[in-house]
Amino acid sequence: MSPSLPSEDLLVRMHRELARALAKDPDKVKWVMVIDLARCIGCHACAVACVSENKLPPGVVYRPVMEEEIGVYPNVRRRFLPRPCMQCENPPCVAVCPVTATWKNKQGVTVIDYDRCIGCRYCLTACPYGARCSDFAGFYTNATAEADGLLLGRKAAAKGYEDAATPEYGKAWPPRGHGSPIGNARKCHFCQHRLAVGQLPSCVTSCIGRATVFGDANDPASYVRECMGSPRVFRLKEEQGTQPNVYYLA
Amino acid sequence: MDRRCFIKTSALLGGSLAVSGWLRPDSLADASASISTYTGNMPENMIFSACQQCNTQCGIKVKIKDGQVAKIDGNPFSPWTMTPQLPYATPMAEAASFDASLCPKGYAGIQTLYDPYRIVKVLKRAGKRGENRWKSIPFEQAVAEVVAGGDLFGEGHVDGLNAIIACRDPKIADALQKDAADVAAKKLTLEEFKAKQAVNLKYLIDPDHPDLGLKNNQFCLNWGRLKGGRSELIRRFTDFSCGSYNYHGHTTVCQGSLYFSGKAMSDQFVEGKFTDGSKFYWQGDTGNAEFLLFVGASPFEANYGPPLRAGKITRLQHEGVKVAVVDPRCSKAASRAWKWLPNKPDGVGALAQAMIRWIIENKRFDERYLKNANKAAAKADNEPTWSQACWLVKLDGSGKPGPYLRGSDLGGTPEKRPKKDGKGDWDFDPFVCLDEAGNPVLFDPNDDKTVAEGQLLWSGEPSGVPAKTVLQIYWEEASAKPLAEWCKLAGLSEVDVVEVAREFTSHGKRAVADLHRGVSQHTNGFYNVVAWYTVNTLIGNHDWMGGLSKATNFNYDGASPGKPYDCTAHPAKLKGWGVSIIRHQTAYDKSTLFSGYPAKRVWYPFCSDIYQEVIPSAGDGYPYPLKCLMLYMGTPVYSLPAGHEIAKILADPKKIPLFITSDITVGETSIFADYVFPDVTYLERWEFVGSHPSMTPKVGAIRQPAAAPLTDSCTVYGQQMPICLESMLLGLAEKMGLAGFGENAFGPGRHLRHMDDLYLPMCANMAYGDKADGSEKIPAADKTEMDIFLAARKHLPATVFDAKRWEALVGPELWPSVVAMLNRGGRFQAYDKAYKDGQLVNKYGKMVGLYFENMVKAKDSMTGKAYLPYGGYLPSPLDCTGKPLDDAAAGYDLTMITYKAVTQTKSRTSGDYWLQAPYPENFVELAAADAARLGFKAGDAVKIVSASNTEGVWDLGPFGKKFMIGKVRILEGLRPGVTAFSLGHGHWAYGAGQWQIDGQAITPDPRRATGVHGNAAMRVDPVLKNTCLVDKVGGSAVFYQTQVKLVKV
Repeated sequence: MSPSLPSEDLLVRMHRELARALAKDPDKVKWVMVIDLARCIGCHACAVACVSENKLPPGVVYRPVMEEEIGVYPNVRRRFLPRPCMQCENPPCVAVCPVTATWKNKQGVTVIDYDRCIGCRYCLTACPYGARCSDFAGFYTNATAEADGLLLGRKAAAKGYEDAATPEYGKAWPPRGHGSPIGNARKCHFCQHRLAVGQLPSCVTSCIGRATVFGDANDPASYVRECMGSPRVFRLKEEQGTQPNVYYLA
Repeated sequence: MDRRCFIKTSALLGGSLAVSGWLRPDSLADASASISTYTGNMPENMIFSACQQCNTQCGIKVKIKDGQVAKIDGNPFSPWTMTPQLPYATPMAEAASFDASLCPKGYAGIQTLYDPYRIVKVLKRAGKRGENRWKSIPFEQAVAEVVAGGDLFGEGHVDGLNAIIACRDPKIADALQKDAADVAAKKLTLEEFKAKQAVNLKYLIDPDHPDLGLKNNQFCLNWGRLKGGRSELIRRFTDFSCGSYNYHGHTTVCQGSLYFSGKAMSDQFVEGKFTDGSKFYWQGDTGNAEFLLFVGASPFEANYGPPLRAGKITRLQHEGVKVAVVDPRCSKAASRAWKWLPNKPDGVGALAQAMIRWIIENKRFDERYLKNANKAAAKADNEPTWSQACWLVKLDGSGKPGPYLRGSDLGGTPEKRPKKDGKGDWDFDPFVCLDEAGNPVLFDPNDDKTVAEGQLLWSGEPSGVPAKTVLQIYWEEASAKPLAEWCKLAGLSEVDVVEVAREFTSHGKRAVADLHRGVSQHTNGFYNVVAWYTVNTLIGNHDWMGGLSKATNFNYDGASPGKPYDCTAHPAKLKGWGVSIIRHQTAYDKSTLFSGYPAKRVWYPFCSDIYQEVIPSAGDGYPYPLKCLMLYMGTPVYSLPAGHEIAKILADPKKIPLFITSDITVGETSIFADYVFPDVTYLERWEFVGSHPSMTPKVGAIRQPAAAPLTDSCTVYGQQMPICLESMLLGLAEKMGLAGFGENAFGPGRHLRHMDDLYLPMCANMAYGDKADGSEKIPAADKTEMDIFLAARKHLPATVFDAKRWEALVGPELWPSVVAMLNRGGRFQAYDKAYKDGQLVNKYGKMVGLYFENMVKAKDSMTGKAYLPYGGYLPSPLDCTGKPLDDAAAGYDLTMITYKAVTQTKSRTSGDYWLQAPYPENFVELAAADAARLGFKAGDAVKIVSASNTEGVWDLGPFGKKFMIGKVRILEGLRPGVTAFSLGHGHWAYGAGQWQIDGQAITPDPRRATGVHGNAAMRVDPVLKNTCLVDKVGGSAVFYQTQVKLVKV
């Protein structure tokens, strides 16, 4: 190992590289993510940070982390596999949408227009990764005590963290419970609203193990490009021909 | 990246980009999307503070939108969340766009704040204790009743605080204390005492035992999670103003024996005594070791903790550094480690002996370091610390080590030296080591001029006195068993152990054994910890980069000269005295209660904050009954091993007639309270959160009001405040007319009528820095920063934020510095400033004790014998009289352990629903081999039973019974013979169960009740009968030494 102190956190480097990408012509940027499974500690911070960032209801998780135990005592390993949307080059979900409510944007991210989505869920079925969820209008605070005046109560709790609109796509959605994205398909979009203002996706900034690497694949000096060239690189379900833009390091 | 480059690139960021094409119509059909509604990157929408979803206290940024908390992210100025963190001078606009990482609990903190089951009004019990039936009452009424007492519950008279706090005059209190000490020391007879103090005997708990102290001691304030600021307020209220000696924390339920080993090891030789040790411990400098050995520590899931340490570990592993983990369970850290050593839970001490044996036998220790007997020798070798390894210890007739060999034993005469305080002399009797030729070297451990070095492994009779070196004592202990036998006791393969020992000794001082609860929470916890710290001392890694480090904080109480505001000042300071309810730091054989061995309950001369001892002692009325217990942010019923015994005592109002809690909701312990005062959460309040031993930079992290308070308001001293701990204590003080509160509480013109009166001056002290000349003062906020500060707080009501009030308290000169500091959530030394020339800058820098003479001289209250004075091997578990327990022989075939899942913090995260997606419930975890042996399948419901809870039940009195039934999960990653459950589930209160306020039933939430909580199965000490097993030296409550049986239901 190096005898010197760590001089730069990976987040700082990625933040700087993000700024560099944002200064480019948007059409020449290609967002990719690399997840180094050797650095994933299975903390689920990304999953929860994403729920908080995007104000996701019960049953909607954009980036679950799968846990699996491998081996026989005492030779045991536990594998943690974060699974965001793969932002496929050939996204099966896009083709099946009857109302063209979902498409790949110029930077390679598959987005959804909640105003056009009719909630048919064809895309949920089409996705080989299970990366799409349907928003069934749930509230975490449903069925908690009302107890107005006696306790904080359900209404105040809901006002606190569930009633506000999602910031997704930077758009002025109605307060939750009054239309989209309720009833729509929902999915990871690499935090488009954060990228737009120079912030890395929430799963990247929340990654304690610094296992999640994000950046512009078209930037040869970027860390994400360096990681894509690792001999440990693989993608999920390559055989499907979806060509994910999320890579893993074994 | 260099700083200039960072600024250049960051200058491109900010809200403007949102309209420059990155959210333009091509990404969405609607053109309105080009104006982003997202505000989570703007400094005027966030307050930088500190998390408290666990005790790691990570830096957070609390993002506000429309007056509500919209998201919590990591504070990039905080060295908790990035390594290295952003430079302190980074403008707020840049820092605002930069989110650092937190663990999942940190993100879910919003749900702790906006928990529907939070209480907002004071609740008074309306039924029997524990029924969970309440009446909401006005704050003023609650304060008046608690102070005045009376027939408060229709069950007869209850003394209020006014009656309990009997003596308010410091002069009388001090005189009684002095004379009582003389009675205990037999300098004054009891009759003489009674005659002398006749008029004041009414203030004593028991005039026949004056050393028990004032009646004031019958008020006890006990806390769970408490940090700076609130800590000073509690001390001021309980000790300085109420004169009670009973203010006790919860340390022993966490890692007491770790802290109190640190205290014993840090005792220094001061004017003839070993004293002045600090209650602290060491951890590894996690980011810079070349080999990390985690022992009973789980840094990816808990253990101060994921954001602070895990990223450092994964970076090192990425660079090829090896990590080994000693844990019966394949924790997430173990699963990523080079080596997982699945030890027997009680074998952790044997493993330390194996390490010591192998290291000494193979001469892999740092001889140069260990030979240094004093400060001068250390200095000459550029070593920040020195040990006692070469000091000679006298042996008694049977060869048992006793006190240190001194100059006087060799015929020398002690030297008179003046005391530091100028009050007379003390006798300096030098210590002895032997030079290479075998000649005695007399030395002073603190001498920084005359180098003293000694032989390490030696035993003999210098001048006819049998003696041996401290290291020889350790060697003989460790070599008493062959390596194979130690490994067998540890339950590990000799090959693995040797590989780990070799690796540990292959990196000079840049290797470290980092310890936690798995080492300390045993009946022999103290000795386990000392032995493991000795393993570290053998390579001399204290204060070296990649070795052992300690926490260093900026001061905020202002007590030292030159600081702006002395927040410890008090116009009529009482000083609580006597024997505490937990009998801490006091000797049984020197008290007037002494009546032979065993004592009725254990006395604890070497530790404090013995959580499991507070309520059971009150239950036994030993050494005296309590009249009022106030509990802050603690839940002993849920958190302590054998907490069901605590519940039994609390359910009986005769045992503790007045029981008050300060709680967020009505938790498992608060259901037994007489009054529950609502508190605000960590997102609505202040605290100076301290640090952790693995944090090498000097820090001053601050928690400050970030969200508007959600409890009702109240008025104290004419000031509006939210109902919270501070207003509760201020309200009681006002009603009681206590000195040290209200007008001129800190001296003329400095009042304590609002919490700001304490916390803002503390902020000023911290912003000023620790240099008396002010050279450490934080650079002033400019206009932009000042505007950001105000804008970010526009949602806060005047009850908690008023810029003019704050500025007036701090003074105009320090105000801009305070603003700059609060904008950043505290002050933090730059990471690279924490290291110099391969060493830590913030050093321990003293003697590392390995042999504790004080323990030779003290007597165990249960046996009358001396304590073992070094880190030797003690078989365990033992009951409190030293008798071995063998429940395994009675068919309890599994050792039960606990751990923390990353998603839960023991008792208080069950309302954070986001955390349930990955881990909705916990399990009774079993090794695959055991499951096969016992015929259990995954998902089977099983009941946990033990020798002290054969029914497997939480018997909660009027609340009913809750059986400890959980679902089986079968794992390969668990040592056979061990069963585990993670803490935080299986609630019955905290919104999970039956509850009534003002006659209205509160709808419980079954999501909060999922899983199993097995603490009630933990072994009750057969002698104490109402308390879990304990470590009598380090005070730990024992978590890992209960034998259980699983019964299919």
